[in-house]
Parts: sequence; structure tokens; C-alpha cells
Amino acid sequence: MPQRRLTFRTACATAGLSLALLSPLSAQAAEQIMFVSQGGAYQKAQTIAILDPSAKKLGITINQDSVPDAWPIMRSQVATGKPSWDVVDVATNFCLRGGEQGILEKLDFSKIPNAAAMPAEYRSDYSVAYEFYSSVMGYSLKKFPDAATAPKTWADFWDVKKFPGRRSLRNNPLATLEAALMADGVPADKLYPLDVDRAFKKLEEIKPHITVWWTSGAQSAQLLNDGEVDMVMAWNGRISALTKEGAKVAYTYNQGILQSTSLCVLKGAPNLPTAIKFLNEAVDPVHQANLPLHIDYGPANPKAYDTGVIPAARVGELPSAPANAKVQALMSYAWWTSAAGEAAEKRWLSFAQK
Amino acid sequence: MKQPLLPRLLFGAFVGLVLIYLILPLLIIVPMSFSATRFLTFPPPALSLRWYAEYFGNPNWMQATRMSALIGLLTVIVATPLGTAAAYAISNSQTKLMRSLHMMLMLPLIVPIIIIAIGIFFIYAKLGLIQTLTGLVLANVMLGLPYVITSVVAGLQSFDKTQEMVARSLGMNRFRAFLTVTLPQIKASVFAGGIFAFISAIDETIIALFVSGGQYQTLTKRMFTALRDEIDPTIASISTLLTAASFILVLLATSGQKRAA
Amino acid sequence: MSVIDPSLRYRRREQGLMLLLASPAVIVIVALVVIPVGWLMTQSVYDNGFTLEHYRRIFSEDIYWRSFTLTFRIALMVTVLTLILGYPVAYAAAHVKRPWDVLILSFVILPFWTSVLVRAYAWLVLLQRTGVTNQMLERFGLISEPLALVHNELGTVIATVHILLPFMVLPLYSTMQKIPRELMLAGASLGGGPLHTFLRVFLPLSLPGVVAGLTLVFVLTLGFYITPELLGGGRTIMISMVVSRNVELYNQWGAASAVGVVLLVAVIAVFALVGRIIPLDKMLGQK
Repeated sequence: MPQRRLTFRTACATAGLSLALLSPLSAQAAEQIMFVSQGGAYQKAQTIAILDPSAKKLGITINQDSVPDAWPIMRSQVATGKPSWDVVDVATNFCLRGGEQGILEKLDFSKIPNAAAMPAEYRSDYSVAYEFYSSVMGYSLKKFPDAATAPKTWADFWDVKKFPGRRSLRNNPLATLEAALMADGVPADKLYPLDVDRAFKKLEEIKPHITVWWTSGAQSAQLLNDGEVDMVMAWNGRISALTKEGAKVAYTYNQGILQSTSLCVLKGAPNLPTAIKFLNEAVDPVHQANLPLHIDYGPANPKAYDTGVIPAARVGELPSAPANAKVQALMSYAWWTSAAGEAAEKRWLSFAQK
Repeated sequence: MKQPLLPRLLFGAFVGLVLIYLILPLLIIVPMSFSATRFLTFPPPALSLRWYAEYFGNPNWMQATRMSALIGLLTVIVATPLGTAAAYAISNSQTKLMRSLHMMLMLPLIVPIIIIAIGIFFIYAKLGLIQTLTGLVLANVMLGLPYVITSVVAGLQSFDKTQEMVARSLGMNRFRAFLTVTLPQIKASVFAGGIFAFISAIDETIIALFVSGGQYQTLTKRMFTALRDEIDPTIASISTLLTAASFILVLLATSGQKRAA
Repeated sequence: MSVIDPSLRYRRREQGLMLLLASPAVIVIVALVVIPVGWLMTQSVYDNGFTLEHYRRIFSEDIYWRSFTLTFRIALMVTVLTLILGYPVAYAAAHVKRPWDVLILSFVILPFWTSVLVRAYAWLVLLQRTGVTNQMLERFGLISEPLALVHNELGTVIATVHILLPFMVLPLYSTMQKIPRELMLAGASLGGGPLHTFLRVFLPLSLPGVVAGLTLVFVLTLGFYITPELLGGGRTIMISMVVSRNVELYNQWGAASAVGVVLLVAVIAVFALVGRIIPLDKMLGQK
């Protein structure tokens, strides 16, 4: 059988190739932590702005991993009793939920002075806010070239007559329910507790016009860039990355939903003392101020704005800059971690499928 | 048997179209990998080696590549002898028990992978095998066993067992008789089984999504993550490299065959 | 007092040895398939005591129900399409002269070397609104508005058929290859036209390959995960995705396990049904 001979030889050659690829795994330094974030341009930016400087200052090694959906792994890691991760950068609701479910270390803020100096609403017993981003409405400049007639509000997004075109929303209730309620006329500062029934009812209205329910940040950017959709709810940094590549797209902070990720430490983290030291460095005002120099996400530590590191022109582009924060809704992670919030999350699956 | 020309032409055209459909993704991936832009614009507006540089210059990609190669190799090293022994037993024993064991050994091909994946995820979580080399290799051995067994059983079917009997009657012990008489004749099947196990380990994604990570992150897992992080042509260049490597190997193999013939 | 027949003793020893040889492989499968799946089964009927609540839920809540119907519909479509596309290819590969059959088979096997993930990405480039396919169709004036080829069920089917086509072609090819040419000639010499000969002689003889291919493709589609996840537009939620979501997002092992068990039962039922026609090991062996 000639075919079999063929695979046999291929086998030998492939085995040889893989041997060549093998080399010893990287050596490990004395004091280190495993830091987990979400990857992509965001992780690269914080590596330059925060992780590398922190590692240098503390004389530690920061190993990195990236996981877009860290939550199930956080839980399974703790369930094993021997987690390999120390610090996780994850959407704040997961830190709150993790605290409730007892899978996180309670933080001693006396050892984290930089965090202790931050506003109380930016931390919980188990976590400290790390950076701000916003779920904004992005649109194609090819479809809406004129700023005056471009969509500006979620009501516009829902108005398929005045703004014809293809639309995409995130396949996730967080921020999407808020947008639906704002489209239905609820003011940005009166959203919580969310009227879940009303939000889903409003979503049913737009549903036939949603081309794609996106599941990853990369996908949302790709959809808008490739003209697959004309309007999308996406993270501000994703759309600004497109404009930097020269794509004909724009976004507005108006009625954006301001969200944050937080840092938390897994229960039984292998390098707990180092992890706490790192936490303090990570929210250091100067390091925090470095972040927006590399990506369009805002510092979580407000003192970063006083360091003078962020140029004035840059401040205006950041989601958490005071002027931008004013026109947005601030997400209540406390509501999303409540029983009502969790019920809304479960209802989502059934909604998306129909 | 001459058939009318027109139906034959139509038939040929249909087959040709199906074959084009089969290689269409490949025809897209290769040019995309040389694209100069970040996005899925096809044909690429300008060419560059940017994404190859991104792959080779990124220690994470390199680490994942080494990890996948290591897992593939270890999988072959473990699965091939285990599978060959089992295949030998299967073809030498006609008992009912052995037949049900044979069926059981085929389970990884029958049970939908997601079910195995979450089952393993839970068991590994209990045993502390998540994100370990042992855990990943074991899972891939399990997935690779059916391929080795199937291939070797087929090879043994065409092998005349009396040869081994003769060797044993000449005083060789069974193991030596197997090594010196049987194995050389079925080595092609053993290797074919091994290579299938290797491919299956390299391509495995779903179990890796659940149990790999950290230092022990497979290439496919990183590719899946990358598709969620940044949809950029890096994975097109990785895939081009993998396909090119295998294509060259196949070409070498065929030319070697021709020379041997 | 009993006299043991020496040949019987030999056979016993022989069988013991064979069991010993098979045992390492068996242990791996038991540890990594039987125990995990068995554990899932107990989870599916357990919630602080025996309960059928999880099953009641998946049969009464429409999320699950809809997912099951969608999955079976997609599996059916994919199976029929792979047969329609795969049969002629296998036929051609089994009948053309030397270099051509190798060429056809390498076209069939080549996609195997490309990761399923990357192929999903390629289909995105090909099928999206501004993608290659829509551009071509528009250029030839066949359509005026881009078609929605991806981010839906259709995109999932196109990519799934692509991945599973080799699983149809290869068993078909190996069956067809064994059909003696003389039979066809004999059929022709008895006065039947080519179509008649094909329908009366060739087609029935190729049926085992057809059944094997259909079964493999159908069952594999039932468990698909990556393609619908990446190309389904968030709406095409197949059973595997329901299982993983229940585990990942909601930590609902009971519900996930029950869904998994129902899926497993469906798969086993298909195999058992088909197993009456051709033995299972033969079917899987042809892969």
C-alpha cells in the first residue's frame, strides 16, 4: 500500500521535526508570581506600562498567562486546592462573585497603601479596581459619514428607520441590558436596579435587526472593520485601535457604559506575599498613569491624573476622564452580582437562542 | 466501458468543484499570512512578513509550539506501545471479554468529545492534574489509542501468525519472537497509528481548552485564545507553516518512494 | 479430583496473557473515559440525593429543547450534504488512473493538516458580507445585495461539511475500491446502460461505505463545538455549547451532565442501530 508507506515516512520526518523544536522550558527566578489577564493588545500595553516596571521595582519575576474567560478556571483552580495563578485581572463582577463564593484571598489594605488611598467604591474586601473601559456605540463612517447625522444615543441604535443598517451587540447581558434601558428612555443615573423585564422587552424589538451577537472583543472590531455591520456596541479600545489602523469608523462616549476590571488574588495563591506586593505596585499612580499612554483604557487610580504623566490631550480620550465619565452610565457590579443580576444572566442564554 | 462525453464532463466538473471547496480555506490562508494589515481583508492590500515575525518573535507562541510538539511526542511514545500491545491481544484472542474490551477501547471515537472534556476537567480538578504535562499527555494518549489500535489490528490481520509460532517453536521467547518476527512486518501499521496519534494530539483543542494553561498551554489553545484576543493573521502564518512543513514532508516521502521503487 | 486438559490450561494462560497485554490501554480508557462519563451520569441524577429534576428541566425548558432540535437538524443537513458531495469524489478517486487518484485523495486529506480553528477563520474571510464569495457573486451580477453566508446556521453548515467531508469520502473510497471492475463490465455486457449498471450493481455494493460514512458524519456533527461557536453568530447554539456554557458560566454540573448524557444516549442509539448492519469496529476502522 503506497499510502501507508507514505504516512510512515511522514511519521519519521515529523517526529524528527518535533525533536528539533524541543528545548528546555524557561528557568525560574526566586521570587515570582503568575499574573493572568485577558491577552491581546491590552495585555501587551499593561506589560509595558505596569508589569515590567513593577517587576523591576520589586525585583520579582512576573509570569503571565492570558485567558479571555478566566472565571471558570479561577474556580477550578481553587477547587483543586493548589492554584497555579496568583493575581487575576478580570471583570469586576467576577471578583465580587469570587469573594462571595470564597475563592479569593481577603485583602489586607494596610499592606496595599496605594489601594487604600483609592475611593472606597473602587475596591471590595477581595479586589481593587485596575482599569476602566467603556462599552460604547461604534459606527461605520462609510455608512454615517456626517457627524451631525450619525447615531449618538442608544435610542438611535434602536431606531432602524432613521438609521438603517446592520447591527451587532455583545452576546452577554452586561452593558447590553443597560443600553436597552437607556434606549427605552431610562436616564443613565437611574438604571439600577435594572428593570430586567423592560430591558428584555426592548431587546426583543431590536433582535431581528441584530446580525451578529459577538462573543469576543476581537470579533466586535473585525465585524465593524470589515463592513459586516454598520453599528456595534463594543469596547472603546477596540474601536480606537481600528481608527489607528486607518479604518473608517468612529464611536461616541455618549451613553457609554463605564466598566472596570479589578485585580484579585486566588485563595491559596502559591506566592501570596509577593502577590500583595505586586497589587500595591499595580495601582501605583505613576504605573497607572502609564497605561493610557499605550492603550485607550483609563487608570483606575484617580491619582494617576495628578501625576502629570498623561498629556492633557490624551486625558480627553480616556473613558474614565471626568468629562467623558459624566456622559456615561457607571456599571453597578454590585447589582450584577446580586440574585437579580445572576437571574438576568441566566435568562440571557434563552433570549439569545430564539 | 465508454460513457457519453457530456455526463462525464459534468461529473468531472462537479468533482472538481468539490475538490476546490476542500482546499479553498488553504488558498485563503496562505495569502492572508503574508498580509500587511491586521484585519481580514482579502486579497491583502499589501504584502509583508509581519505575521511570521510576530509568531517567531513571540516567546508565548514559541513556548506553546514547543509544548504541543512535546505533548505530541510523549503521546506517541506512550500510546504506540500501549495500543500495539492491546491490538496484539485483540487479534490473538477471540473471547467475548476481549471483544467487549475492544469496543471499550474505541470509546474515545464514539463519545462526543465535549462530554469527555468536562468529565476529565472535573476528575483532573480533583486530582490536581489541571495545567500539568501529565494530564495533557494522558488525555491525548486516551484520544490516540483508538487510532493506534485500529491501525495495528488491521496490520495484524494481514500478518500470518504461524510465523511467530515457528519462531517460538525454535526456542525464542514470546516477546523476542514478537520483536524479531512480527513487529518488523507490521511496523508500517504501527507507525501509521503513531502518526495518527501525533496528529490528533497536535490538533486537539477542546480538552485543551478545559485543562491546559499557564506554562502548559498548547498551540491550539493559544490559537483559540488568539482568535478571541485579536483576529489578526498570525494564526494564518502558523497554519501556513504547519501545512507547508507537512506538505514538504509528503513530497520528500513520495520522491523517496520513487527512488526506492 | 479433576483432570485439567493441558490444551485448556494453555488456552487459559494464553488468554490471561492477552488480558495482561490489553490492560494498560484499558486502564487509560477506564480512567479517562469510563470514570469521567460515569461520574457525569451520576451527577445528572444527583442534587443532594437522587433526582430527575435535571432531566425534567432539559425536557421542559425550551433552551435545551431548541438546542437539541437545532443540533439534529444541522447534523442531518451536514450528513446529506457530505454524501451528495462525497460520493462522486470517492467514485472518481476509485476509478481514475494512477496519478489522478492520488491527486484527488491528497485534496481530500490535505485539509486534515489545517487546524479546525484556522479553517473557521478562513471561512470567515470567505463568507462574510464583504468576503470573497459575496464579492465574486456581485461582480458576476448574480446578486445585488450581499448574502448572509456566515454568522448563522448556514455558515456553520458550510464549515462543518468541509471538516467532515473526508470522513465520508474515505470510507466510501475504501469500499468502492474493493468492488471488482468486472462486475460493472458484466452488468454492462448484460445490456444495461451505464446508469442502470451503476444503480443495480455498483450502488448496492457501495452501501456499506455509505452507511459507515453517514454514521460517522452524523455522530461527529452531534458533538461539534468549535465551528458553531466561531461561525454561528451567537445564535447557533448546539448541544456541546450548552454543555460547556452550563459548566463554565453557571457552574451547573447537574444540568450540563444531563444534557451530556442525553447527547451520549443519542449517539449510542445511532451506533447501535447501525451496528446491526455493519460491525462497529469495521466502521471506525475505515477512518
